Amino acid sequence: MNKLQANICLVCVTLLWSSEVIIFACIPDSVVPFATTAITNLIASALLFICFFKRIKAAFKSEKKKLLLRVLLLSVLNFGYNNLYQYGLDYFDVSTGAFTLSMTVVILPVILLMYKRNVGKRTWISAGMVLLGILSSYLGRISSINLYGFITLAAGCAIRAVFIIKLNDYSREHDPVSISALISLFVGTFSLAVWLFIQPATFAAIEWNVQIIASLFIYAYFIVAFAQTLNIFAQRRANAASATIIYSLEIVFSLIWGVTMPANLVEQVTPDVFMLIGVAFIILGNLVEIIDFSRLKAIVKGRERIG
Amino acid sequence: MADKKGFFYRAAVFAALTAVYLIVSVPFKVMEIIPGFTDIRPVSMLMPVYGIFFGIPGCMAYAVGNLITDIISDSLKWSSIAGFAANFIGPFCYYLFWTRLSKQSFDLRKPKNILIHTAVIAVDALIVAGIITPSVALSYPEVNSWVFFSVVLANSSLFPFFIGIPLIILMQDELDFSPIKRKNTT
Repeated sequence: MNKLQANICLVCVTLLWSSEVIIFACIPDSVVPFATTAITNLIASALLFICFFKRIKAAFKSEKKKLLLRVLLLSVLNFGYNNLYQYGLDYFDVSTGAFTLSMTVVILPVILLMYKRNVGKRTWISAGMVLLGILSSYLGRISSINLYGFITLAAGCAIRAVFIIKLNDYSREHDPVSISALISLFVGTFSLAVWLFIQPATFAAIEWNVQIIASLFIYAYFIVAFAQTLNIFAQRRANAASATIIYSLEIVFSLIWGVTMPANLVEQVTPDVFMLIGVAFIILGNLVEIIDFSRLKAIVKGRERIG
Repeated sequence: MADKKGFFYRAAVFAALTAVYLIVSVPFKVMEIIPGFTDIRPVSMLMPVYGIFFGIPGCMAYAVGNLITDIISDSLKWSSIAGFAANFIGPFCYYLFWTRLSKQSFDLRKPKNILIHTAVIAVDALIVAGIITPSVALSYPEVNSWVFFSVVLANSSLFPFFIGIPLIILMQDELDFSPIKRKNTT
Protein backbone atom coordinates (compact mmCIF):
# COMPACT_ATOMS: atom_id res chain seq x y z
CA MET A 1 0.00 0.00 0.00
CA ASN A 2 1.48 3.36 -0.99
CA LYS A 3 0.71 6.77 0.53
CA LEU A 4 -2.01 7.59 -2.02
CA GLN A 5 -3.71 4.26 -1.33
CA ALA A 6 -3.37 4.78 2.43
CA ASN A 7 -5.10 8.17 2.14
CA ILE A 8 -7.91 6.62 0.07
CA CYS A 9 -8.33 3.91 2.71
CA LEU A 10 -8.44 6.51 5.50
CA VAL A 11 -11.18 8.43 3.64
CA CYS A 12 -13.12 5.14 3.37
CA VAL A 13 -12.63 4.45 7.10
CA THR A 14 -13.94 7.94 7.90
CA LEU A 15 -16.93 7.41 5.61
CA LEU A 16 -17.76 4.14 7.36
CA TRP A 17 -17.43 5.70 10.81
CA SER A 18 -19.75 8.52 9.75
CA SER A 19 -22.40 5.96 8.73
CA GLU A 20 -22.67 4.95 12.41
CA VAL A 21 -25.57 7.39 12.74
CA ILE A 22 -27.56 5.47 10.12
CA ILE A 23 -26.97 2.14 11.87
CA PHE A 24 -27.66 3.56 15.33
CA ALA A 25 -31.00 4.87 14.05
CA CYS A 26 -32.01 1.21 13.53
CA ILE A 27 -31.08 0.24 17.11
CA PRO A 28 -33.67 1.32 19.72
CA ASP A 29 -32.57 3.47 22.69
CA SER A 30 -33.52 0.60 25.01
CA VAL A 31 -30.29 -1.15 23.94
CA VAL A 32 -27.63 0.43 26.19
CA PRO A 33 -24.46 1.68 24.40
CA PHE A 34 -22.25 -0.80 26.33
CA ALA A 35 -24.37 -3.63 24.95
CA THR A 36 -23.88 -2.39 21.39
CA THR A 37 -20.13 -2.01 21.89
CA ALA A 38 -19.79 -5.41 23.58
CA ILE A 39 -21.82 -7.38 21.04
CA THR A 40 -20.41 -5.73 17.91
CA ASN A 41 -16.78 -5.94 19.06
CA LEU A 42 -17.09 -9.57 20.08
CA ILE A 43 -18.73 -10.48 16.73
CA ALA A 44 -15.99 -8.58 14.85
CA SER A 45 -13.30 -10.26 16.90
CA ALA A 46 -14.77 -13.74 16.25
CA LEU A 47 -15.00 -12.96 12.52
CA LEU A 48 -11.37 -11.82 12.33
CA PHE A 49 -10.11 -14.79 14.37
CA ILE A 50 -12.02 -17.23 12.12
CA CYS A 51 -10.88 -15.64 8.82
CA PHE A 52 -7.25 -14.99 9.78
CA PHE A 53 -6.56 -17.65 12.41
CA LYS A 54 -3.21 -18.75 10.92
CA ARG A 55 -1.97 -15.19 10.55
CA ILE A 56 -2.92 -14.24 14.11
CA LYS A 57 -1.38 -17.46 15.47
CA ALA A 58 1.88 -16.67 13.64
CA ALA A 59 1.92 -13.11 15.01
CA PHE A 60 1.35 -14.47 18.51
CA LYS A 61 4.15 -17.00 18.24
CA SER A 62 6.76 -14.38 17.50
CA GLU A 63 5.75 -11.58 19.86
CA LYS A 64 3.15 -12.75 22.35
CA LYS A 65 3.81 -10.61 25.46
CA LYS A 66 4.79 -7.40 23.68
CA LEU A 67 1.81 -7.61 21.32
CA LEU A 68 -0.65 -8.34 24.11
CA LEU A 69 0.58 -5.50 26.33
CA ARG A 70 0.52 -2.99 23.51
CA VAL A 71 -2.94 -4.01 22.32
CA LEU A 72 -4.16 -3.88 25.91
CA LEU A 73 -2.96 -0.27 26.13
CA LEU A 74 -4.67 0.56 22.81
CA SER A 75 -7.89 -1.09 23.98
CA VAL A 76 -7.92 0.86 27.28
CA LEU A 77 -7.39 4.13 25.35
CA ASN A 78 -10.10 3.18 22.83
CA PHE A 79 -12.55 2.25 25.58
CA GLY A 80 -11.70 5.45 27.47
CA TYR A 81 -12.18 7.96 24.67
CA ASN A 82 -15.35 6.28 23.38
CA ASN A 83 -16.96 6.55 26.82
CA LEU A 84 -15.89 10.17 27.28
CA TYR A 85 -17.37 10.94 23.84
CA GLN A 86 -20.58 9.19 24.77
CA TYR A 87 -21.04 11.20 27.99
CA GLY A 88 -19.71 14.46 26.55
CA LEU A 89 -22.03 14.36 23.55
CA ASP A 90 -25.06 14.38 25.86
CA TYR A 91 -24.30 18.08 26.52
CA PHE A 92 -24.29 19.05 22.83
CA ASP A 93 -26.75 19.12 19.98
CA VAL A 94 -25.88 16.60 17.25
CA SER A 95 -24.11 18.93 14.81
CA THR A 96 -22.09 21.00 17.33
CA GLY A 97 -21.07 17.79 19.09
CA ALA A 98 -19.88 16.27 15.82
CA PHE A 99 -17.85 19.39 15.00
CA THR A 100 -16.31 19.38 18.48
CA LEU A 101 -15.10 15.80 18.00
CA SER A 102 -12.86 17.10 15.19
CA MET A 103 -10.83 18.79 17.94
CA THR A 104 -8.53 15.74 17.91
CA VAL A 105 -6.93 17.29 14.80
CA VAL A 106 -5.91 20.34 16.81
CA ILE A 107 -4.81 18.43 19.93
CA LEU A 108 -2.78 15.74 18.13
CA PRO A 109 0.04 17.99 16.82
CA VAL A 110 0.45 19.41 20.34
CA ILE A 111 0.75 15.90 21.80
CA LEU A 112 3.23 15.02 19.03
CA LEU A 113 5.34 17.96 20.20
CA MET A 114 5.15 16.64 23.77
CA TYR A 115 6.54 13.35 22.44
CA LYS A 116 9.33 15.50 20.87
CA ARG A 117 8.34 14.58 17.33
CA ASN A 118 8.44 16.86 14.32
CA VAL A 119 5.21 18.35 13.05
CA GLY A 120 5.27 19.74 9.49
CA LYS A 121 4.17 23.25 8.50
CA ARG A 122 1.35 21.83 6.38
CA THR A 123 -0.04 19.90 9.35
CA TRP A 124 -0.16 23.08 11.46
CA ILE A 125 -1.95 24.94 8.63
CA SER A 126 -4.44 22.07 8.26
CA ALA A 127 -5.02 21.88 12.02
CA GLY A 128 -5.57 25.65 12.08
CA MET A 129 -8.16 25.41 9.33
CA VAL A 130 -10.01 22.59 11.08
CA LEU A 131 -9.99 24.69 14.29
CA LEU A 132 -11.51 27.60 12.32
CA GLY A 133 -14.11 25.13 11.03
CA ILE A 134 -15.03 24.07 14.59
CA LEU A 135 -15.20 27.69 15.78
CA SER A 136 -17.40 28.64 12.81
CA SER A 137 -19.87 25.90 13.75
CA TYR A 138 -20.04 27.40 17.28
CA LEU A 139 -21.13 30.84 16.01
CA GLY A 140 -24.73 31.46 16.99
CA ARG A 141 -24.64 28.56 19.47
CA ILE A 142 -21.98 29.65 21.98
CA SER A 143 -24.53 30.27 24.76
CA SER A 144 -25.79 26.68 24.49
CA ILE A 145 -22.34 25.10 24.92
CA ASN A 146 -21.88 23.47 28.31
CA LEU A 147 -18.39 23.79 29.80
CA TYR A 148 -18.50 20.38 31.51
CA GLY A 149 -19.51 18.75 28.21
CA PHE A 150 -16.76 20.63 26.38
CA ILE A 151 -14.09 19.52 28.88
CA THR A 152 -15.29 15.91 28.70
CA LEU A 153 -15.08 15.91 24.89
CA ALA A 154 -11.69 17.66 24.96
CA ALA A 155 -10.38 14.94 27.32
CA GLY A 156 -11.80 12.31 24.96
CA CYS A 157 -10.08 13.96 22.00
CA ALA A 158 -6.75 14.08 23.90
CA ILE A 159 -6.98 10.35 24.70
CA ARG A 160 -7.94 9.61 21.10
CA ALA A 161 -4.91 11.58 19.90
CA VAL A 162 -2.63 9.42 22.08
CA PHE A 163 -4.44 6.32 20.77
CA ILE A 164 -3.81 7.37 17.15
CA ILE A 165 -0.12 8.08 17.79
CA LYS A 166 0.36 4.71 19.54
CA LEU A 167 -1.64 2.85 16.89
CA ASN A 168 0.47 4.49 14.21
CA ASP A 169 3.65 3.30 15.96
CA TYR A 170 2.47 -0.24 16.72
CA SER A 171 0.92 -0.88 13.30
CA ARG A 172 4.42 -0.59 11.80
CA GLU A 173 5.79 -3.25 14.15
CA HIS A 174 2.96 -5.77 14.47
CA ASP A 175 0.49 -7.51 12.18
CA PRO A 176 -2.52 -5.15 11.65
CA VAL A 177 -5.05 -7.99 11.50
CA SER A 178 -3.86 -9.33 14.87
CA ILE A 179 -3.98 -5.85 16.41
CA SER A 180 -7.51 -5.33 15.08
CA ALA A 181 -8.79 -8.74 16.26
CA LEU A 182 -7.30 -8.26 19.74
CA ILE A 183 -8.52 -4.67 20.16
CA SER A 184 -12.05 -5.88 19.31
CA LEU A 185 -11.70 -8.75 21.78
CA PHE A 186 -10.47 -6.53 24.65
CA VAL A 187 -12.90 -3.65 24.01
CA GLY A 188 -15.74 -6.16 23.69
CA THR A 189 -14.76 -7.79 26.99
CA PHE A 190 -14.43 -4.45 28.87
CA SER A 191 -17.84 -3.36 27.57
CA LEU A 192 -19.38 -6.72 28.46
CA ALA A 193 -18.11 -6.32 32.04
CA VAL A 194 -19.61 -2.81 32.37
CA TRP A 195 -22.84 -3.97 30.70
CA LEU A 196 -23.07 -6.85 33.18
CA PHE A 197 -22.58 -4.35 36.02
CA ILE A 198 -25.22 -1.82 34.92
CA GLN A 199 -27.70 -4.32 33.45
CA PRO A 200 -27.17 -7.79 34.99
CA ALA A 201 -29.76 -9.39 32.70
CA THR A 202 -27.51 -8.42 29.70
CA PHE A 203 -28.69 -10.34 26.61
CA ALA A 204 -32.05 -11.18 28.16
CA ALA A 205 -32.73 -7.46 28.71
CA ILE A 206 -32.81 -6.77 24.98
CA GLU A 207 -36.11 -7.12 23.14
CA TRP A 208 -34.61 -8.92 20.18
CA ASN A 209 -36.03 -8.46 16.70
CA VAL A 210 -34.73 -8.83 13.15
CA GLN A 211 -33.86 -5.13 12.88
CA ILE A 212 -31.69 -5.09 16.01
CA ILE A 213 -29.86 -8.29 15.03
CA ALA A 214 -29.27 -7.04 11.46
CA SER A 215 -28.05 -3.63 12.67
CA LEU A 216 -25.63 -5.17 15.18
CA PHE A 217 -24.17 -7.45 12.50
CA ILE A 218 -23.85 -4.55 10.02
CA TYR A 219 -22.06 -2.52 12.68
CA ALA A 220 -19.78 -5.44 13.54
CA TYR A 221 -18.79 -6.17 9.90
CA PHE A 222 -18.38 -2.67 8.58
CA ILE A 223 -17.60 -0.29 11.42
CA VAL A 224 -15.59 -2.61 13.65
CA ALA A 225 -14.02 -5.47 11.66
CA PHE A 226 -13.55 -3.87 8.24
CA ALA A 227 -13.03 -0.17 9.05
CA GLN A 228 -10.78 -0.85 12.06
CA THR A 229 -8.57 -3.31 10.16
CA LEU A 230 -8.38 -1.07 7.09
CA ASN A 231 -7.50 1.84 9.38
CA ILE A 232 -4.60 -0.05 10.97
CA PHE A 233 -3.23 -1.12 7.56
CA ALA A 234 -3.49 2.49 6.32
CA GLN A 235 -1.82 3.83 9.48
CA ARG A 236 1.28 1.82 8.55
CA ARG A 237 1.82 4.09 5.54
CA ALA A 238 0.29 7.38 6.73
CA ASN A 239 1.57 9.52 9.57
CA ALA A 240 -0.58 10.11 12.64
CA ALA A 241 -1.21 13.80 11.90
CA SER A 242 -2.40 13.35 8.32
CA ALA A 243 -4.58 10.38 9.36
CA THR A 244 -6.26 12.53 12.01
CA ILE A 245 -6.87 15.36 9.58
CA ILE A 246 -8.57 12.92 7.19
CA TYR A 247 -10.69 11.63 10.11
CA SER A 248 -12.05 15.17 10.51
CA LEU A 249 -13.97 14.61 7.26
CA GLU A 250 -16.40 12.55 9.37
CA ILE A 251 -18.48 15.64 10.08
CA VAL A 252 -18.67 16.40 6.33
CA PHE A 253 -19.96 12.90 5.57
CA SER A 254 -22.38 13.00 8.52
CA LEU A 255 -23.82 16.24 7.20
CA ILE A 256 -24.21 14.71 3.73
CA TRP A 257 -26.12 11.75 5.25
CA GLY A 258 -28.32 14.14 7.23
CA VAL A 259 -29.23 16.11 4.12
CA THR A 260 -29.58 13.29 1.56
CA MET A 261 -30.80 10.18 3.42
CA PRO A 262 -34.53 9.49 3.93
CA ALA A 263 -35.99 10.39 7.35
CA ASN A 264 -36.63 6.72 8.23
CA LEU A 265 -32.88 6.04 8.11
CA VAL A 266 -31.28 9.13 9.62
CA GLU A 267 -32.20 12.27 11.55
CA GLN A 268 -32.65 14.99 8.91
CA VAL A 269 -30.29 17.99 9.14
CA THR A 270 -30.81 21.44 7.67
CA PRO A 271 -27.35 23.00 7.67
CA ASP A 272 -27.11 26.68 8.49
CA VAL A 273 -24.53 29.04 7.01
CA PHE A 274 -22.12 28.63 9.98
CA MET A 275 -22.10 24.87 9.59
CA LEU A 276 -21.41 25.22 5.87
CA ILE A 277 -18.50 27.58 6.55
CA GLY A 278 -17.21 25.10 9.14
CA VAL A 279 -17.41 22.26 6.63
CA ALA A 280 -15.63 24.39 4.00
CA PHE A 281 -12.72 25.05 6.41
CA ILE A 282 -12.46 21.35 7.27
CA ILE A 283 -12.39 20.36 3.58
CA LEU A 284 -9.73 23.04 2.93
CA GLY A 285 -7.67 21.72 5.85
CA ASN A 286 -7.85 18.23 4.35
CA LEU A 287 -6.84 19.43 0.87
CA VAL A 288 -3.81 21.22 2.33
CA GLU A 289 -2.72 17.99 4.05
CA ILE A 290 -3.48 15.52 1.25
CA ILE A 291 -2.43 17.36 -1.92
CA ASP A 292 1.28 17.29 -2.62
CA PHE A 293 1.69 20.96 -3.59
CA SER A 294 5.44 20.74 -4.18
CA ARG A 295 4.86 17.98 -6.75
CA LEU A 296 2.04 19.95 -8.38
CA LYS A 297 4.32 22.98 -8.56
CA ALA A 298 7.04 20.89 -10.20
CA ILE A 299 4.55 19.53 -12.76
CA VAL A 300 3.28 23.03 -13.60
CA LYS A 301 6.87 24.35 -13.90
CA GLY A 302 7.77 21.42 -16.17
CA ARG A 303 4.80 22.18 -18.42
CA GLU A 304 5.74 25.85 -18.58
CA ARG A 305 9.23 24.87 -19.71
CA ILE A 306 7.85 22.52 -22.37
CA GLY A 307 5.44 25.29 -23.49
CA MET B 1 -6.67 -17.13 -10.04
CA ALA B 2 -9.66 -19.44 -10.41
CA ASP B 3 -9.11 -19.85 -14.18
CA LYS B 4 -6.33 -22.43 -13.93
CA LYS B 5 -8.03 -24.61 -11.34
CA GLY B 6 -10.38 -27.56 -11.75
CA PHE B 7 -14.14 -27.86 -11.44
CA PHE B 8 -14.20 -28.66 -7.70
CA TYR B 9 -11.97 -25.71 -6.88
CA ARG B 10 -14.26 -23.41 -8.88
CA ALA B 11 -17.32 -24.90 -7.18
CA ALA B 12 -15.76 -24.33 -3.75
CA VAL B 13 -14.86 -20.73 -4.68
CA PHE B 14 -18.42 -20.21 -5.96
CA ALA B 15 -19.93 -21.58 -2.73
CA ALA B 16 -17.63 -19.53 -0.48
CA LEU B 17 -18.28 -16.33 -2.46
CA THR B 18 -22.04 -16.91 -2.41
CA ALA B 19 -21.88 -17.35 1.37
CA VAL B 20 -19.87 -14.12 1.75
CA TYR B 21 -22.42 -12.32 -0.46
CA LEU B 22 -25.29 -13.51 1.75
CA ILE B 23 -23.51 -12.62 4.99
CA VAL B 24 -23.02 -9.06 3.72
CA SER B 25 -26.34 -8.55 1.92
CA VAL B 26 -29.01 -10.12 4.15
CA PRO B 27 -28.65 -7.76 7.19
CA PHE B 28 -29.13 -4.70 4.96
CA LYS B 29 -32.61 -5.84 4.00
CA VAL B 30 -33.77 -3.82 7.04
CA MET B 31 -32.65 -0.60 5.31
CA GLU B 32 -35.18 -0.41 2.51
CA ILE B 33 -35.48 2.64 0.28
CA ILE B 34 -38.29 1.42 -2.00
CA PRO B 35 -39.84 -1.41 0.10
CA GLY B 36 -39.72 -4.74 -1.71
CA PHE B 37 -37.66 -3.32 -4.57
CA THR B 38 -34.46 -1.76 -3.40
CA ASP B 39 -32.49 -0.99 -0.27
CA ILE B 40 -29.09 0.38 0.76
CA ARG B 41 -26.75 -2.19 -0.83
CA PRO B 42 -23.15 -2.02 0.40
CA VAL B 43 -22.87 -5.55 -1.01
CA SER B 44 -22.37 -3.77 -4.37
CA MET B 45 -18.80 -3.14 -3.20
CA LEU B 46 -18.20 -6.84 -3.94
CA MET B 47 -19.16 -6.43 -7.62
CA PRO B 48 -15.68 -5.37 -8.86
CA VAL B 49 -13.97 -7.64 -6.31
CA TYR B 50 -15.80 -10.76 -7.55
CA GLY B 51 -15.23 -9.93 -11.23
CA ILE B 52 -11.58 -8.90 -10.97
CA PHE B 53 -10.29 -11.49 -8.47
CA PHE B 54 -12.53 -14.51 -9.11
CA GLY B 55 -13.74 -14.27 -12.74
CA ILE B 56 -16.73 -16.32 -13.90
CA PRO B 57 -17.27 -18.19 -10.57
CA GLY B 58 -17.31 -14.78 -8.88
CA CYS B 59 -19.86 -13.39 -11.39
CA MET B 60 -22.08 -16.46 -10.89
CA ALA B 61 -21.77 -16.21 -7.10
CA TYR B 62 -22.78 -12.54 -7.24
CA ALA B 63 -25.87 -13.25 -9.37
CA VAL B 64 -26.93 -16.34 -7.39
CA GLY B 65 -26.29 -14.56 -4.08
CA ASN B 66 -28.59 -11.74 -5.18
CA LEU B 67 -31.28 -14.21 -6.21
CA ILE B 68 -31.08 -16.10 -2.88
CA THR B 69 -31.25 -12.77 -1.00
CA ASP B 70 -34.44 -11.92 -2.97
CA ILE B 71 -35.93 -15.31 -2.06
CA ILE B 72 -35.14 -15.23 1.66
CA SER B 73 -36.22 -11.60 2.05
CA ASP B 74 -39.53 -12.34 0.33
CA SER B 75 -38.83 -9.91 -2.52
CA LEU B 76 -38.71 -12.39 -5.42
CA LYS B 77 -40.54 -10.79 -8.34
CA TRP B 78 -40.66 -11.04 -12.16
CA SER B 79 -38.04 -8.31 -12.25
CA SER B 80 -35.69 -10.66 -10.36
CA ILE B 81 -34.95 -12.32 -13.73
CA ALA B 82 -33.53 -9.03 -15.02
CA GLY B 83 -31.92 -8.60 -11.59
CA PHE B 84 -30.17 -11.96 -12.01
CA ALA B 85 -28.89 -10.97 -15.47
CA ALA B 86 -27.75 -7.53 -14.28
CA ASN B 87 -26.00 -8.98 -11.25
CA PHE B 88 -24.08 -11.39 -13.45
CA ILE B 89 -23.23 -8.78 -16.08
CA GLY B 90 -22.19 -6.24 -13.41
CA PRO B 91 -19.10 -8.12 -12.16
CA PHE B 92 -18.57 -9.67 -15.61
CA CYS B 93 -17.95 -6.19 -17.11
CA TYR B 94 -15.06 -5.68 -14.66
CA TYR B 95 -13.70 -9.12 -15.53
CA LEU B 96 -14.07 -8.43 -19.26
CA PHE B 97 -12.45 -5.01 -19.07
CA TRP B 98 -9.42 -5.97 -16.99
CA THR B 99 -8.73 -9.32 -18.69
CA ARG B 100 -9.61 -8.59 -22.35
CA LEU B 101 -10.00 -4.88 -23.09
CA SER B 102 -7.36 -3.20 -20.94
CA LYS B 103 -3.80 -3.13 -22.19
CA GLN B 104 -2.38 -3.25 -18.69
CA SER B 105 -2.68 -5.54 -15.70
CA PHE B 106 -5.02 -4.55 -12.91
CA ASP B 107 -3.74 -2.59 -9.96
CA LEU B 108 -4.78 0.56 -8.12
CA ARG B 109 -1.33 1.90 -7.28
CA LYS B 110 -1.28 4.95 -9.57
CA PRO B 111 -3.80 7.80 -9.86
CA LYS B 112 -4.24 6.99 -13.59
CA ASN B 113 -5.30 3.40 -12.83
CA ILE B 114 -7.70 4.60 -10.13
CA LEU B 115 -9.25 7.02 -12.66
CA ILE B 116 -9.64 4.22 -15.23
CA HIS B 117 -11.22 1.96 -12.61
CA THR B 118 -13.56 4.81 -11.58
CA ALA B 119 -14.66 5.20 -15.21
CA VAL B 120 -15.31 1.43 -15.41
CA ILE B 121 -17.40 1.69 -12.21
CA ALA B 122 -19.47 4.53 -13.74
CA VAL B 123 -20.11 2.65 -17.01
CA ASP B 124 -20.87 -0.59 -15.14
CA ALA B 125 -23.37 1.16 -12.85
CA LEU B 126 -25.17 2.59 -15.89
CA ILE B 127 -25.33 -0.88 -17.48
CA VAL B 128 -26.71 -2.49 -14.29
CA ALA B 129 -29.30 0.25 -13.74
CA GLY B 130 -30.14 0.19 -17.48
CA ILE B 131 -30.92 -3.55 -17.34
CA ILE B 132 -32.99 -3.67 -14.13
CA THR B 133 -34.99 -0.43 -14.42
CA PRO B 134 -36.96 -1.21 -17.64
CA SER B 135 -38.05 -4.60 -16.27
CA VAL B 136 -39.30 -3.00 -13.03
CA ALA B 137 -40.96 -0.18 -14.99
CA LEU B 138 -42.77 -2.68 -17.23
CA SER B 139 -43.76 -5.17 -14.51
CA TYR B 140 -44.58 -2.71 -11.74
CA PRO B 141 -45.76 0.66 -13.15
CA GLU B 142 -46.59 1.89 -9.64
CA VAL B 143 -42.85 2.13 -8.85
CA ASN B 144 -41.28 5.50 -9.68
CA SER B 145 -38.78 4.47 -12.39
CA TRP B 146 -36.52 7.50 -12.01
CA VAL B 147 -36.20 7.04 -8.26
CA PHE B 148 -35.54 3.32 -8.78
CA PHE B 149 -32.96 4.04 -11.52
CA SER B 150 -31.21 6.63 -9.31
CA VAL B 151 -31.07 4.28 -6.32
CA VAL B 152 -29.66 1.39 -8.39
CA LEU B 153 -27.18 3.76 -10.05
CA ALA B 154 -26.08 5.15 -6.67
CA ASN B 155 -25.76 1.67 -5.11
CA SER B 156 -23.79 0.31 -8.08
CA SER B 157 -21.41 3.25 -8.28
CA LEU B 158 -20.91 4.72 -4.79
CA PHE B 159 -20.25 1.48 -2.88
CA PRO B 160 -17.80 0.04 -5.47
CA PHE B 161 -16.06 3.43 -5.44
CA PHE B 162 -15.95 4.38 -1.75
CA ILE B 163 -15.68 0.92 -0.17
CA GLY B 164 -14.81 -1.34 -3.13
CA ILE B 165 -11.59 0.51 -4.03
CA PRO B 166 -10.15 0.37 -0.47
CA LEU B 167 -11.22 -3.29 -0.20
CA ILE B 168 -9.39 -4.08 -3.46
CA ILE B 169 -6.29 -2.20 -2.26
CA LEU B 170 -6.38 -4.19 0.99
CA MET B 171 -6.82 -7.51 -0.83
CA GLN B 172 -4.21 -6.95 -3.52
CA ASP B 173 -1.53 -5.02 -1.64
CA GLU B 174 -1.80 -6.37 1.90
CA LEU B 175 -3.57 -9.74 1.84
CA ASP B 176 -1.87 -11.14 -1.31
CA PHE B 177 -4.94 -11.80 -3.46
CA SER B 178 -4.10 -11.83 -7.18
CA PRO B 179 -6.42 -10.48 -9.85
CA ILE B 180 -7.25 -12.73 -12.82
CA LYS B 181 -4.48 -12.28 -15.40
CA ARG B 182 -5.01 -10.60 -18.75
CA LYS B 183 -5.84 -13.05 -21.54
CA ASN B 184 -3.40 -11.56 -24.06
CA THR B 185 -0.36 -11.88 -21.79
CA THR B 186 2.09 -14.69 -22.45
